[in-house]
Amino acid sequence: MKVLVVEDELGLAEGITDYMVKEGYVCETADTFQKADEKIHLYEYDCIIVDLTLPDGNGFQLVETLKRLASTTGIIIISARNALEDKLKGLEIGSDDYLTKPFHLSELNARVKSLLRRRQFGGHTEIRFRELTVVPHARTVFVNGQPTALSRKEYDLLLYFLSNTDVALTKASIAEHLWGDNIDSADSFDMVYSHIKNLRRKLLDKGAADYVQSIYGIGYKFGQP
Amino acid sequence: MKLLAQTNRIYLGFSLVVYLLTALAFYQISRLLIYDEVESRLRVEKQDFEAYARTHNAWASSPYFVENKIEITPVPGPVQPGEAFVDTLIYNHYDNEMTPFRQLTFFTPIHGQLYRVEIRKSLIQTYRLIEVITVTMVLFLGLLLLGMFWFQSRLSGRLWLPFYDTLSRVKAFDLRQGSPLQLHPSSITEFSELNDVLTKMADKMQHDYQGLKEFTENASHEMQTPLALINAKVEQLIQSSQLTENQSDWIDGIYQASRRMARLNQGLLLLAKIDNGQFGDTHTVDLTAELMQRLTDMDEVITHKQLTVSSDLREPFRGQLPPFLADSLVTNLISNAIRHNQSGGAIHVCSSAETLALSNTGFAPVTDPGTLFDRFKKGAANAESVGLGLAIVRQICHSYELGVDYQYQSGIHTLTLTRQFAGTERVNGMGIAAS
Repeated sequence: MKVLVVEDELGLAEGITDYMVKEGYVCETADTFQKADEKIHLYEYDCIIVDLTLPDGNGFQLVETLKRLASTTGIIIISARNALEDKLKGLEIGSDDYLTKPFHLSELNARVKSLLRRRQFGGHTEIRFRELTVVPHARTVFVNGQPTALSRKEYDLLLYFLSNTDVALTKASIAEHLWGDNIDSADSFDMVYSHIKNLRRKLLDKGAADYVQSIYGIGYKFGQP
Repeated sequence: MKLLAQTNRIYLGFSLVVYLLTALAFYQISRLLIYDEVESRLRVEKQDFEAYARTHNAWASSPYFVENKIEITPVPGPVQPGEAFVDTLIYNHYDNEMTPFRQLTFFTPIHGQLYRVEIRKSLIQTYRLIEVITVTMVLFLGLLLLGMFWFQSRLSGRLWLPFYDTLSRVKAFDLRQGSPLQLHPSSITEFSELNDVLTKMADKMQHDYQGLKEFTENASHEMQTPLALINAKVEQLIQSSQLTENQSDWIDGIYQASRRMARLNQGLLLLAKIDNGQFGDTHTVDLTAELMQRLTDMDEVITHKQLTVSSDLREPFRGQLPPFLADSLVTNLISNAIRHNQSGGAIHVCSSAETLALSNTGFAPVTDPGTLFDRFKKGAANAESVGLGLAIVRQICHSYELGVDYQYQSGIHTLTLTRQFAGTERVNGMGIAAS
């Protein structure tokens, strides 16, 4: 999987790249419009993460060019601009997702994964993690082949974990993924805790291993026990 | 009142006074002249009479003299000599009516006997003359007045045309639309100067507005990117497994602070944008429905905090505002009601066509309720809230003709939205309800 990160803030580009590389993607960066334009003309990518405000150009133009060149490439816009018009315009000209800065890398990663799943197999693909199987288009979960009933939030939570395995996730990023921005941390952290507790219990009941670890002061990690 | 109507009215009043005075003066002058003429003729006749009396030493009523022309009465005793003019009315046998005469009375001795002599001249012709003159005067002056008035209004209408054109264009001018103010050039110096000044002002305003907008966007960009960087770095940092408890706490501190700052920044930017009216089109939004929808969305938190929600929805409360802001408004109201609630508390929604009230249980306010809507005012020590929620609520309400009020009574906090222009809005609301 090849991902191109177009972001002029080098620190941020590096952060994204590191995260993506860890997830097993081949990652390239471009910090100017010029370089990005060159790269999309020369190579093919599965996904491109593009910042709207570049020192020498506008991200929208890149999206338009890309749509002309390779329409199968997934496009995620990351922008500091939270304006509705920008979001609408982005989606209108063919981007697949729009993420407002500051965002969580884990959230970006989850969106890239979901996008690639949708793009490449038309969503008809299963996510497997050891004895767990998730069928996204049907929103069903199997443990050792047995169907496991999860609530909507528990399902979302599991999918988020599966998109970010073996990565420490902050409570805030989980809360934001589940409820968006309009919620108080104090309440949402409690709710995250109770959802995780329930999810864990349901998975354990069906005979799965305990994959959720809590990390002191930070949040949770889903991975090998 | 319109400028033209006003000037016309003043002009009409003034010319009416002037014309009336002129007519009066004309009347008086012609009257004076005619009297002067009549009196000098009477004096001549007096001289004729005296000369006749002196030569003939007698007076005979001559048939030559028409009726009432001259009247002689003997006067007993001495009388001061002198003469006097008077107006008098004398009965006319032919016309059967009283006719006006000018009469000269004097005393003269004839044959040793003192006589009072009264010579009269009919004024009937003179009066007619004056009448005709007056009528003609009034007629002509009136015509002149009307003509001038008509001409004046036509002329001013034409002269002021560029002004009204400018006015309507300035009225139609919208700062938010990018198009500059276009005014027709005028050949009149004052108007062309006015147009110049207005165009310059509009350009400056547009420039400033654009600058402000750009600043808002740029500030957003410049702040959000470093914040995104901090977030990303913190996320990378927490991946390393050799963190001590202390380090984890510090990292959590940094993380929380950066998130708070991001929220703060977004809140301030939202306020600035509402201030600048950058949200464009308003729609009629059923705020009651929005509020109830949002409460359903927040169901999980409400259950988590064990809050009971009750509602008394008589009629939907509607507002004219951009949908995005309507969403922001109800979200902030509900977040507020949940945040400042206590575990096991209650939320109550009361809606009518004129008011929408959201009440929640909670501890008594520690700050002055009057400052509650100010920026960065927080009710209680709550590290999570940045203190902008109610400021945003107020800003949205103020910008879109809604009133917002806070009340605290025996453990219940109530925020009430009201219509600010109930009269006009009600008509609007009814129209929508009917359609």
